[in-house]
Amino acid sequence: MAEQHAHAHAHHHGEKHTHISRGTYYRVFAALMVLMVLTVAAWWVEKNLLEIPGWLAVTIAMSIAIAKTVLIVLYFMHVKISSRMTQVYAAGAFVWLIILFVITMGDYVARGWPPQAGPLP
Amino acid sequence: MATITHEEAHAHTHGPELQHQFETPEQQKEAATLGMWAFLVTEIMLFGGIFMAYIAYRWAFPEAWEESAALLNTPLATVNTVVLLVSSLTVALAVNAAEEGRKRRLITMLVLTIVLGVTFLVIKGYEYSEKFAHCAGAKDPISWITGSDLHESHECLVPGRGFMFPDEHGSTSGGHGAAKTATQSGHQLFFLLYFSATGLHAIHMIIGLGVMTTILVMALRDRFSPTYFTPVEIGGLYWHLIDIIWVFLFPLFYLV
Amino acid sequence: MSTLSLPQSSYIRDNSRTFTDWLKSWLLTVDHKRIAILYLLSINFFFLLGGLAATLVRVELITPQGDLMSSDVYNRAFTLHGVIMVFFFLIPSIPAVLGNFLVPLMLGARDLAFPRLNLLSWYLYMIGGLFALIAAVFGGVDTGWTFYTPFSSTYSNSNVVMTITGAFIMGFSSILTGLNFIVTIHKMRAPGLTWFRLPLFIWANYATSIIQILATPVLGIALLLVVVERLWGVGIYDPALGGDPLLFQHLFWFYSHPAVYIMILPAMGVISELISTFSRKRIFGYEFIAFSSIAIAILGFLVWGHHMFVSSQSVYAGLVFSFITMLVAIPSAIKVFNWTATLYKGSISYRTPMLYALGFIGLFVIGGLTGIFLGVTAVDLHVTDTYFVVAHFHYVMVGGTIMAYLGGIHFWWPKMTGRMYNETWGSIAALIIFVGFNMTFFPQFILGYLGMPRRYHVYPPEFQILHVMSTAGASILAIGFIVPLIYLGISLRKGAIAGDNPWGATGLEWKTSSPPPTFNFDKTPIVTEEAYAYPPEAAERDAAAWRPGSPL
Repeated sequence: MAEQHAHAHAHHHGEKHTHISRGTYYRVFAALMVLMVLTVAAWWVEKNLLEIPGWLAVTIAMSIAIAKTVLIVLYFMHVKISSRMTQVYAAGAFVWLIILFVITMGDYVARGWPPQAGPLP
Repeated sequence: MATITHEEAHAHTHGPELQHQFETPEQQKEAATLGMWAFLVTEIMLFGGIFMAYIAYRWAFPEAWEESAALLNTPLATVNTVVLLVSSLTVALAVNAAEEGRKRRLITMLVLTIVLGVTFLVIKGYEYSEKFAHCAGAKDPISWITGSDLHESHECLVPGRGFMFPDEHGSTSGGHGAAKTATQSGHQLFFLLYFSATGLHAIHMIIGLGVMTTILVMALRDRFSPTYFTPVEIGGLYWHLIDIIWVFLFPLFYLV
Repeated sequence: MSTLSLPQSSYIRDNSRTFTDWLKSWLLTVDHKRIAILYLLSINFFFLLGGLAATLVRVELITPQGDLMSSDVYNRAFTLHGVIMVFFFLIPSIPAVLGNFLVPLMLGARDLAFPRLNLLSWYLYMIGGLFALIAAVFGGVDTGWTFYTPFSSTYSNSNVVMTITGAFIMGFSSILTGLNFIVTIHKMRAPGLTWFRLPLFIWANYATSIIQILATPVLGIALLLVVVERLWGVGIYDPALGGDPLLFQHLFWFYSHPAVYIMILPAMGVISELISTFSRKRIFGYEFIAFSSIAIAILGFLVWGHHMFVSSQSVYAGLVFSFITMLVAIPSAIKVFNWTATLYKGSISYRTPMLYALGFIGLFVIGGLTGIFLGVTAVDLHVTDTYFVVAHFHYVMVGGTIMAYLGGIHFWWPKMTGRMYNETWGSIAALIIFVGFNMTFFPQFILGYLGMPRRYHVYPPEFQILHVMSTAGASILAIGFIVPLIYLGISLRKGAIAGDNPWGATGLEWKTSSPPPTFNFDKTPIVTEEAYAYPPEAAERDAAAWRPGSPL
């Protein structure tokens, strides 16, 4: 199992298993705070300064949320240095969420809302 | 390993934390981590159902979403986001401290995490009580208790029979009135999802606080060492997941 | 084979002195084998209850008039049958009983990875079952096991919340079992037991566990929202309040379609074991069977919309779902072809478990092929919500899962108890079940095709002959289920001592004593060969040595 961790971060003391250093945690935390400020700022700008289309606003907010999630999962939750199986399970959860969302929304979009306004008369 | 019986192997080579079904501490640790991740998968799918409903209804009622989100308390939610992100850092540092065998630091970080978690719940509770106070006709939770200061426009954002979304002119309309129900349904759905999602999240926070308290007690009793700190690690994983859920709930409900 | 008495120490025996101690040693056990026995007893109890509800339904349907019960009582009867059978029998049956008992044994492990979690999952199962029972006693529930909205959330006056709570808690039990299996299979395999040396039962249970952890929580939240809607009068699924009832169906079938694979995949795993053992041959196409389990698990998540063809779901979505549904036929067929190829030139012995296995193949083929009819939108529009659907899923669930469950129970009975059951009665019961089953459900295909809708207790007189036939078949089926209870019970005292490996089977579970000791193996086994390593000439040698009455 130690071999699987070979691509881990540099570590400053001679333990057998690799781990993520405290400095990395602080840097990740700083990045998270920056992202949080960004997402609130983007929202404020949309509300008060300039109109942007709704889909773009959602895309911005969701991209930032996904970026935060990736940071937390990879570093705080140690997935970056975890076994391959853990990585597969972590990724699998999100893939399955997307299956649920995409297929269900596929039905909604093709059906239209409210139902009588769908593509078929 | 195959030539000696299990009892001997366990009694001689490992500490009491190695359970009977495992051969080595590494195996036990990896099993615990994988098990926790499998559990987190189920948690993600559990919230996935609510997010699915969110997507469908936001797509159906975009205007209602925008109008409703404006009535949520975004500044408080922003503070809460910061609180949770900091608690995630303290948990990560707690795991780090456990890994390096620094007991004092571990305990400090766990206490900090618990304090931050409670702070989050208190703020969240205030937000909820604000909405309930409006339903009762009061301006804010404090005047609700003291019975002073009525709310200027009558509104009730708690989904249910008394739901009443204030319209643009400041006048009010009953959630039960047949004509208004159709136009109000999007708003009610927003608040229903808001209460369901954040409520489910709060329940997870409470469970998380229980987990953290348990780990704190274990730490105080010297149950951890640099070779055995699995509970800290998998408890931390759970806490981070709660954080991730909030990372999505925050923009989806407050920043529409 | 040569032992004449049961082993001195086994998981069943203990040296508790008082009754309380003995009770504690079972109710607080963390031994996966004892938990499997607890599950065996409780699941069979629920099977009996579900069977009683089915009896009510079938008796009512003997006459075209609704003369035994009112339509309302009838609704509650078939709902009770559905809820109990699906949530408390079919879904936990094979994983919780056979899986719990066998997964650690087959892996050469001392126990599952999380033994206490395993016990917790049994308690959750019992608590969930208790809720469902209380709901049934205090008037039952009339929504059908699908809890479709807005009926369940707005209109029904029955104990919906109580039943849903039961199903919700049972879901957690199912999740914990799946989680435990996944970790155990990943981390607890004996030295040398690589993935491609695993028995196919393990592969099947792994695929099942993935479905359990990915799908069950979605059902949980869908049901939870129904409860919220009922309790607070809000409209998440209520069209009058802006909600969409179809959203419930999407979420519900996102779980409940994969759930039919939770039922059938472990059954397929059992069948792979039985076919190979009683043909004395390596399984044909090991990798194909193994990966087809995974393929079914994944494809099973993409086809839920075929339950919603007539629900005002978009026709385009319907087309896509219909197409992907066809794809599920591929891995299913791969399995059936590989099993039949295993039989080819095998030394087949028609022992009781093998009878169930062969019955499974036949019934599953019928169930699977009619599934393809239903997957075609054009045909489905005609037979939706008719007895055709009822017959189809009973062929898969009863003809598939229950046949495999009983076959597996018989096959591993000597391992679980250390004693053999009566082979003659075993074969007779298997044949009774096969005949009774076909007589019950084949007429329902015809009924459905003629237009008999499901869930109605009154029907036109011209359907009576088929309904009477079905009820007669159900009576035979009931006898077939009672007979094994008797001779298996008797075998506990009177059965011949089985010995470690009565079937001459491969697999680690047969290498330890019967019944196994508490920690399964005295020494951790080391695996050096693949599963089903019957020597190539084993089948021929067996055939040459065969004479009437010889064991294999």
